[in-house]
Amino acid sequence: MITLTRRNTLGLGLGAAAAALLTSRTAGAADPIKIGYPANLTGIQASLDGPMLNGAKLAASEINDAGGVLGRPIELVVYDSKSDATTISTVASQLIDSDKVVGIIGFADSDSVLAIGPQVQTAKIPFITPGATSPKLPSQIGDDIFLAAFGDNVQAAVGAEFALNKLKAKTCYLLTDIGAEYTTLLSDYFVSAFEHGGGKILERDTYKTGDKTFTAQIAKLKAMPEKPDFIFSSSLAEEIGLILKQLRQAGITLPVVGGDGYDSPLLIEVGGEAANDTYFTTHAFVGEGASPKVKAFSEAYKKATGKEPENAFAPLGYDTVKLMADAIKRAGEPDPAKIRDALAATSGLEGVTGTITYRPGVSVPDKSVSVIGVKDGKLFLADEAAPSFVAEP
Amino acid sequence: MSGFEYIVQQIVNAVSLGSLYALVAVGLSIVFGVLRLTNFAHGDVMMVGAFTTVLLNALGLPFVPAMAAGVVGAALAGFLIERIAYRPVRDAPDVTRLLTSLAVTYILENLGILLFTSSPRNFPLPAILNESWQLSGGAITFTNINLLTIALTFVSLLLLGWFITRTTTGLGMRAAAEDMPAAQLVGLDVNRLIIVAFLVASAYAGIAGVLWAAQAGVVQPQMGFTPLLKAFVAAIIGGFGSIAGALLGGYVLGALEIFIVAFLPSSVSSYRDAIVFSILIAFLLVRPGGLLKPNREIKL
Repeated sequence: MITLTRRNTLGLGLGAAAAALLTSRTAGAADPIKIGYPANLTGIQASLDGPMLNGAKLAASEINDAGGVLGRPIELVVYDSKSDATTISTVASQLIDSDKVVGIIGFADSDSVLAIGPQVQTAKIPFITPGATSPKLPSQIGDDIFLAAFGDNVQAAVGAEFALNKLKAKTCYLLTDIGAEYTTLLSDYFVSAFEHGGGKILERDTYKTGDKTFTAQIAKLKAMPEKPDFIFSSSLAEEIGLILKQLRQAGITLPVVGGDGYDSPLLIEVGGEAANDTYFTTHAFVGEGASPKVKAFSEAYKKATGKEPENAFAPLGYDTVKLMADAIKRAGEPDPAKIRDALAATSGLEGVTGTITYRPGVSVPDKSVSVIGVKDGKLFLADEAAPSFVAEP
Repeated sequence: MSGFEYIVQQIVNAVSLGSLYALVAVGLSIVFGVLRLTNFAHGDVMMVGAFTTVLLNALGLPFVPAMAAGVVGAALAGFLIERIAYRPVRDAPDVTRLLTSLAVTYILENLGILLFTSSPRNFPLPAILNESWQLSGGAITFTNINLLTIALTFVSLLLLGWFITRTTTGLGMRAAAEDMPAAQLVGLDVNRLIIVAFLVASAYAGIAGVLWAAQAGVVQPQMGFTPLLKAFVAAIIGGFGSIAGALLGGYVLGALEIFIVAFLPSSVSSYRDAIVFSILIAFLLVRPGGLLKPNREIKL
């Protein structure tokens, strides 16, 4: 898998280099600027990281078609990090020590970012994660870490306010996957926002990433003396379809709310009819009736990959490469320290998933959140909002 | 829902999960019994069975024949693994054989990733299997796939029981498991017996693979790891190499996992796996040979 991906990247890089050669004619200026891109193309994160990489590649080829950055093409150096912390660390060494990249982009989940963080921070290489949403990441790792997406505290607050105001739900049963940092944090932020808004958590239960049977928890839910108005399930893409199926099979028809971990084709493929009456917060709505900006992106994505964007992680990957390229341009030279400072000064950069501005000293952008619902096996945009109350990271 | 109905529901859940564990553990035990080999590739044979079913189903074959083909495919994979990988190292030291089986695991898994990518894909279950039964006004529910799992486990284990106690080949297998050189001395064709053991064990893996994927809703090349781990624990609880022990161990493990979640507060049950393994360690200190083999030391 590694060799395959590597070959693709090389091909892309060579193609870009050749194109640049034709236009600029100066060999030195045609050396590509290398941006590292570790991607979990296999393993549990594959359904998010795969589309994200497609989006990133699309942005890179658009930038190179338009003449590159600072007169040089950019090259994404891609490796498969296999959703595995050890592999991520090996890949990070490879990118930093051998490939000498000037910036790194990667991952849709906080755990993977935590795995690569220390190495990136020690080497002082600016790092942007397109899809990880833990607002704690910059404080946990350091000032070289940037998020391109909103923080989990923001999306959890939107989820809570959606349940309270739109679903008119005051009581909640909370199910948390305690196998991941993302799902654990999302639950905590949700509870803060939901209780702040006057909601009440009636019961909490947990499971672990990789579990296939949730019947014990579901039976417990059914035995609750007071029935909740809805379920908040803090889950990853691989489990949520199955959880929904087992819930509906047990006769529980309550609405289910969750975060951007749901945003994968698996939700409807695995969940089937059981996915109806499910709502999740995410970065953009890419389905039928999307905004003109998303539509234009979808068309370009379809042209490049032959399929519609699978989820919001595709435009996130796209936006992040544009964000990095913008910072390199403003830095004036491909120097990691200067790129970092330029990144931190990003202001009003328009992307497919919203506008990115970093407030001074804050590496998490303020962006609006889309709430997507499932009806008759189809996704629809249920709400788009910025929360009124956000829990501290 | 009354307390009684709650308990019945959790017992149904435990039996259903336990059946799945038992089915995998029995296959693991058959190979261990005959060869004294921990066959790590067992989980990957499950994967072969599940993928064969999905692919044939996608090509238009109805679910039941596709599933049967999956079982045959798994048996064939087991046969090939034995012939190509295990037979040349049969008399090698235990460590060599253990590493060989690990190597087979990696090769099969990566082959799966190369052929199908590692993204999970939907396991198309016929709608009828997804339907659920509601008892006592919906207080107790179970699905047809639960029923099928329990039924297939019982039927296939009854068949296995008959096979190893009533047929010459089955008796031969048990003799070889007891003492391989002696079995050879009295004229048993040990090669043939080992092949049969692998065919039977891998067919079990095939059935278990399809049922596991049906419960999980998805298939992917790495799907064999978790069931292998669970089956390994189940087999150790029961007494490694003992088929009845594996069966018992599977149900004990399934019950432990369900009951910990069902009857302990969620602040405690979030340590489910830690609790299960602590119980396992404590138990092995008292009965190192497992439930059914109290006096025999386990050697891997």
